[in-house]
Amino acid sequence: MHAQSHPGAGEPEFKALLEIAIQADVFASNWEHCDRIASYVARMVSHNRTDSLLYLNLFSSALNELLETAFRAHRGEGELACKVLRAGPIDRVELTIPSDAAIASFYRDAVDTAQRPDAAESYMAALFAEGPVDRRIGLLELAVDYRAKFSVREAGRSSVRLVADLALDEA
Amino acid sequence: MSFTVRYDDNNQELQLAGSMSPQASGDLGDFRNEFLRAVGLVDGTLYVNVKKLVRFNNVAFHEMARLVAGASRDKPQLRIAVVTSSVVGWSARKFRALTRLSPNISVEDYDTQFYPGQDVLEDGGFIPILRTQTRMTWRHEREILPRHGLRAGMAVADICCGIGDFAVLVSKEFKPSRLLAVDHAKPSLAYARQVASDFGVKGIEYAYGDAASLLIEDNQFDFVTCRHSLQIFNKPELILKELFRICKPGGRVYVTNEKNSHCLGEPRAESIQWTYTEVAKLFAHFDMDVELGPKSRRYLLDAGFDEIAMESFMVTSLDGDPQDFADIIQAWEDVYAGKMSVERGDDAAFNKRFRQGFQDHIFAALHPRGYAGWPIWVASGRKPA
Repeated sequence: MHAQSHPGAGEPEFKALLEIAIQADVFASNWEHCDRIASYVARMVSHNRTDSLLYLNLFSSALNELLETAFRAHRGEGELACKVLRAGPIDRVELTIPSDAAIASFYRDAVDTAQRPDAAESYMAALFAEGPVDRRIGLLELAVDYRAKFSVREAGRSSVRLVADLALDEA
Repeated sequence: MSFTVRYDDNNQELQLAGSMSPQASGDLGDFRNEFLRAVGLVDGTLYVNVKKLVRFNNVAFHEMARLVAGASRDKPQLRIAVVTSSVVGWSARKFRALTRLSPNISVEDYDTQFYPGQDVLEDGGFIPILRTQTRMTWRHEREILPRHGLRAGMAVADICCGIGDFAVLVSKEFKPSRLLAVDHAKPSLAYARQVASDFGVKGIEYAYGDAASLLIEDNQFDFVTCRHSLQIFNKPELILKELFRICKPGGRVYVTNEKNSHCLGEPRAESIQWTYTEVAKLFAHFDMDVELGPKSRRYLLDAGFDEIAMESFMVTSLDGDPQDFADIIQAWEDVYAGKMSVERGDDAAFNKRFRQGFQDHIFAALHPRGYAGWPIWVASGRKPA
């Protein structure tokens, strides 16, 4: 608890609130894990926000989309970790996801698309597309509707770390 | 994933409630079938009511978008209105995306029509009166509450908390382990947070919420209060259902309500009685029952509570400064005669007589030998263990 991240230039200092780790194969054995983890984590981090109920609902919905994305886009064994950090109004979700090169590439592409100025158009295209759901849709929605800021980086040799900054009181 | 989908042909309304987070669109067979059935039956506008939908993932949304697009294509004259609630923070912005499909698709926020009397409560000028009312009722309720089961260290929820002053008093007097105060008026909540901040009151969670559809899990609170609110809601049984749900088994729900026609005063009793009888009729015109107080026992029993406890108390002009009482009555006159009666279309003669009763009530309150009263009914019930 209360471990600190290392802020980059101009970045606020984040303090860790909680971290949950689960074996990726266990996580992927049941779709309901996304909802349960999202609900639990949201309840833990929302109580001292200005409006705890509104925040809980928003945060759990956002985290659920991140976890559902990870559920569909991970590869290999290892631990899937969900860490939440806070700097003032911003809650940072760090998802460490077991991956190979293809999965890492997927996240880089998804984050790149979500951060572009035309992300809203990409989101609409994904929403109204025929056929299977675009795996990027959750990240796109968060970027457009929740104004989430994303980054992605490697975390060791076989994992990728997806970082989402959420300012839900202001979203 | 737990959700319900139901089509009400009478209102041409498809109601979605609960949590819809399927892994695949194939898990949404019930939703798909009911949506298509509704589209086949509807003439004019199909209302898609999502105000009780607390989770809706993008698999579900993708499927809904596909169905809505198909309905717009196959039945071009069809209008689809998605009815959201601002209590669910993501809802309106998410569903607004559907409006890109067709000009016949709209997203409506139902909250503006939810509480008929809310505009009155949101009027900032009313806040000092609400504070005075709470101060005067608290003299009684601080002694009444323990008789209805409130103890120190309990988890307490105050639903329809208004400007939050009752929650502050409960916090100071009973030191609850948790105190959640919920209201549907954002200006009131902003005021409540400001007061808590100014007075260094910590530990009260003020939350925006719909009393008839709370974003609170089941069985959370030992003691749930809901004061002066069932009477201004056109479907009090819906609120009671939620109060029952969030109360722990063995916990209690505490409600207070008025019977306005029993407001009284001496001298000028007749005029006072006439006006308050008319107050009750006026509220009934706007689907509010300010005669609800004595009916509380029935409402609680119907909602499933047992061990009902009930009593009444009278706020009077002798409780502290009579001018406080007079100020409350003047505020009532301003709202009831100055706004609601006018909105009903009452003529000048009626309005004049209506106002006179309030002035006579004030006269009684301030008269050196007078007496004025405002009766309130308290009821509580236990959620069976």
